[in-house]
Amino acid sequence: MANIAAKRIKREFKEVMKSEEVAGGTIKLELVNDSWTELQGEIAGPPDTPYEGGTFLLEIKVPETYPFNPPKIRFMTKIWHPNVSSVTGAICLDILKDQWAAALTLRTVLLSIQALLSAAEPNDPQDAVVAKQYREDIQLFNLTARHWTNAYAGGPTVIWEFNQKVQVLQDMGVDEDQARVALSTFDWGLERATEHLFS
Amino acid sequence: MAETSEARASASAPGGDAGGEEDKHDERMLECNICLDTARDAVVSMCGHLFCWPCLHQWLETRPSRQVCPVCKAAISRDKVIPLYGRGNTKQEDPRNKVPPRPAGQRTEPENTSGFPGFGFGEGFHMSFGIGAFPFGVFTSTFNFGDPRPSAAPRGTAQYEEEQFLSKIFLWVAILFVLWLIFA
Repeated sequence: MANIAAKRIKREFKEVMKSEEVAGGTIKLELVNDSWTELQGEIAGPPDTPYEGGTFLLEIKVPETYPFNPPKIRFMTKIWHPNVSSVTGAICLDILKDQWAAALTLRTVLLSIQALLSAAEPNDPQDAVVAKQYREDIQLFNLTARHWTNAYAGGPTVIWEFNQKVQVLQDMGVDEDQARVALSTFDWGLERATEHLFS
Repeated sequence: MAETSEARASASAPGGDAGGEEDKHDERMLECNICLDTARDAVVSMCGHLFCWPCLHQWLETRPSRQVCPVCKAAISRDKVIPLYGRGNTKQEDPRNKVPPRPAGQRTEPENTSGFPGFGFGEGFHMSFGIGAFPFGVFTSTFNFGDPRPSAAPRGTAQYEEEQFLSKIFLWVAILFVLWLIFA
């Protein structure tokens, strides 16, 4: 790995460890390997959002050309958000693409991703299905996102109705994640979800 | 162990650790915004952000079509950064072999606002400057006049003669100076 990248990541890592956000528990950063090319981030779901109370893990891959090119980041924890793929966890955020600037750090990027959870951009979606639900039925979107936070990120709010529907599909032999995606996609209509899964 | 407990004690004492904190803060002020290390071959952008020239150059090379400040995204270009020259870094090994030399500083002469305030407008200013330089020209030539003569002096080997000679020169200088004061 290019010297400047490793050197900078080391510095950033030290700074993140000393930062207020780590002390306050809103972000975390861990090393995955010794070569400083891969790290694991962790952000807390922001308060007053459906993600509140959840903890979201992020995979961070540092390219050799860092900091001249952005780090590659995706959600490892499944999340229901217009700008994050509900399948792959890919994030649509301008600063991770063409708006990247070399003075941004892992700390500021993690904070930006956390801010993205508070302020979705449904008009520039990563996941079209989620974005459609966000635009057309924000209440249902909020419930769905809360349910996903509970199911995958340790969020506190249990939505029994949704859990039961997932269980119904699971009893039919459908994988839990697939069942949840199908139900979320079809606005929790059990019939349409079943139809989709078995067609 | 002793050290840590001492550090804690001084940290808990109000103001005890302030000096160290301040030093650290000062160091961070001089860090390059790209490599986060102390800036070497430092340049500063028009928007006031500090970088190593090699770092900034690489950033500009990475995105030739979108040249923006890595910190504030203001427009930035090679011609619009200012190098910072500190003291005492002349012996540092030159890392600029890989990248083009950092842009040179631009020096503008200060505007001559003193002297002839009456001519401080438009083209007239240049004229008045020429006139203003005249007496100084005479003054300098006075010294030029004096200069070659001591070099001719070694003919007289005795110390006494030289001293005589010097005193004559100073006399002439003094006379000319007085004349200049009277007539100029």
